[in-house]
Amino acid sequence: MASEAGYINYFERLGLANDAHPGEVRKAYKKLMKQLVQEIAQVEVTADRRAQFMLQMATLNAAVFVLKDKERREAYWAERQALIELEAEWCGLDDSDEARHDVLRPKFDSEVRSFLSKYVQEMPLNAGSDHEVLEASHWDVAHARHATQLLRQYRHHLHHDILERLPYHEVTEPKIDWSERQKTVAELLEGLC
Amino acid sequence: MARAVAKQEKIVDLELTAKAFAFAVMTGDIVNFKFLFSGLSPVRAWTSEQLETEKYEYLLPNADAESTAAYKGAYVAVRSDETWAYIQAELGAKRNAQLPSELVLMIADNAVRAAKYTLAAQAYESLRLRRKMQAEFFKQADEALAQGDIPKAVQGYRIATGLSYDYAAFPEPLPKVANYQSDALRIHGRYPERAQECPSIMPEEMHTDLALNYLLSDATAVTRLREYPLETRLAFVKELVARIDPQWDVFVARYHTACTLVLEFAERMQHQKATLEDEIEEQQGHVPTQIMEALLGRTIENGLWWQYMKDLAYEHPAAVLFIGRQRVGKHEILMPRLVADSALPEVLGLAQGLPEGA
Repeated sequence: MASEAGYINYFERLGLANDAHPGEVRKAYKKLMKQLVQEIAQVEVTADRRAQFMLQMATLNAAVFVLKDKERREAYWAERQALIELEAEWCGLDDSDEARHDVLRPKFDSEVRSFLSKYVQEMPLNAGSDHEVLEASHWDVAHARHATQLLRQYRHHLHHDILERLPYHEVTEPKIDWSERQKTVAELLEGLC
Repeated sequence: MARAVAKQEKIVDLELTAKAFAFAVMTGDIVNFKFLFSGLSPVRAWTSEQLETEKYEYLLPNADAESTAAYKGAYVAVRSDETWAYIQAELGAKRNAQLPSELVLMIADNAVRAAKYTLAAQAYESLRLRRKMQAEFFKQADEALAQGDIPKAVQGYRIATGLSYDYAAFPEPLPKVANYQSDALRIHGRYPERAQECPSIMPEEMHTDLALNYLLSDATAVTRLREYPLETRLAFVKELVARIDPQWDVFVARYHTACTLVLEFAERMQHQKATLEDEIEEQQGHVPTQIMEALLGRTIENGLWWQYMKDLAYEHPAAVLFIGRQRVGKHEILMPRLVADSALPEVLGLAQGLPEGA
């Protein structure tokens, strides 16, 4: 079975099964958002914690925004499944099938970027204009401004999760001696101090 | 009818090609390295581009660079039998080249040496090593911190956080603090209605936290550092400021001058026993902008407080931790603001030498 890590799962984010209906989605969202707001109120909010809370809030908002709407939910799930299958197909190719590699690699690359941009960056920001989300999370312009950067970093993070399990194509597969790497790090720190 | 002119076959100078590759490796420049392998590369036999032309001078080492040990090492690596044969084969194939990983690894390490962290991050990333290398830098930096070796720890944290950069790689020097423009303004985003609301008047622990968050721009790093006692974190901030801003002492002197101006301004107002607004009206709309000019060391024509803030954050990032916004009549200025017996201004030399009465 192909790995799904990196392809954000909004059902999982809400702690729901993949066939949960909109009523369950709304209920789970309200419960989790309430818990989050209470947690924010209880702890001392430092800059790093603020970033974590902001990201949690943004992904919760995106989850309800995408999943409560039938059309959006179906489109999201279909794109996600298609991408998982595309990855499996590409990774399962024989090394000798260069022509097929050359077709699938750029296709996968473009589709994974588009999926992550849409569902990790755009949807959380679009969700901010939804009345239900506004009411539960008190999302405002300042949140959106701060979240933009965090969401971009989060998208990169997920993209890296995916890239790390793919076949090497940009560079030849490196032969890494980790003890040599550790020594290099030590030398770099000594040499630069 | 015009005769077809015979097409002259391009001859690629292999020695020059090797030099260009070695120079990219030596400078840790993954962008130029990739360009040399690209479809438009001047070292591909079928392109009309010529490496010998002036526009590609930047790809080649000058005499000084060629004499360095780093260049010689890179050249030997490029010219080693296996690697050189591979490079030539990839350049000859009419498809996207697969970069030789042993050279990409050298590029990444050299980029770290040159403090070009975006380039290093991109090179490590293509080798799927970025996060592991980042973790190793953090680990060894933490070991150094536990042993009290602050300079090594700061260096480790700077590299590790530098490898988080998600900018596209580019060779220009990065600002001293990532996102300084937005982060500095965010710190002072809300006008302090009471003195206690000013970020520089925070309790020591919070102020140090704010400093680390702002200067490192990396939540993971700050969470790690929070494990250490306040004294260690203060020493860390001191070393960090010294490294990112070698001109910090110049700012300290300016800060003290600005404090003197604030005192003079306050004294004038006391003598006149008038409100701040009366004072301003009497001076025909004059606003004490010389205070923020003193902080920055120059004047921004018709500059508003936030413009001074951005320039200050660019030149002396840590400065924004010790200033505050102040309304003066209908205008707003930046003023020095600190708690004199607080630890952070103390370790950064701001609390010493303040004018009497400040």
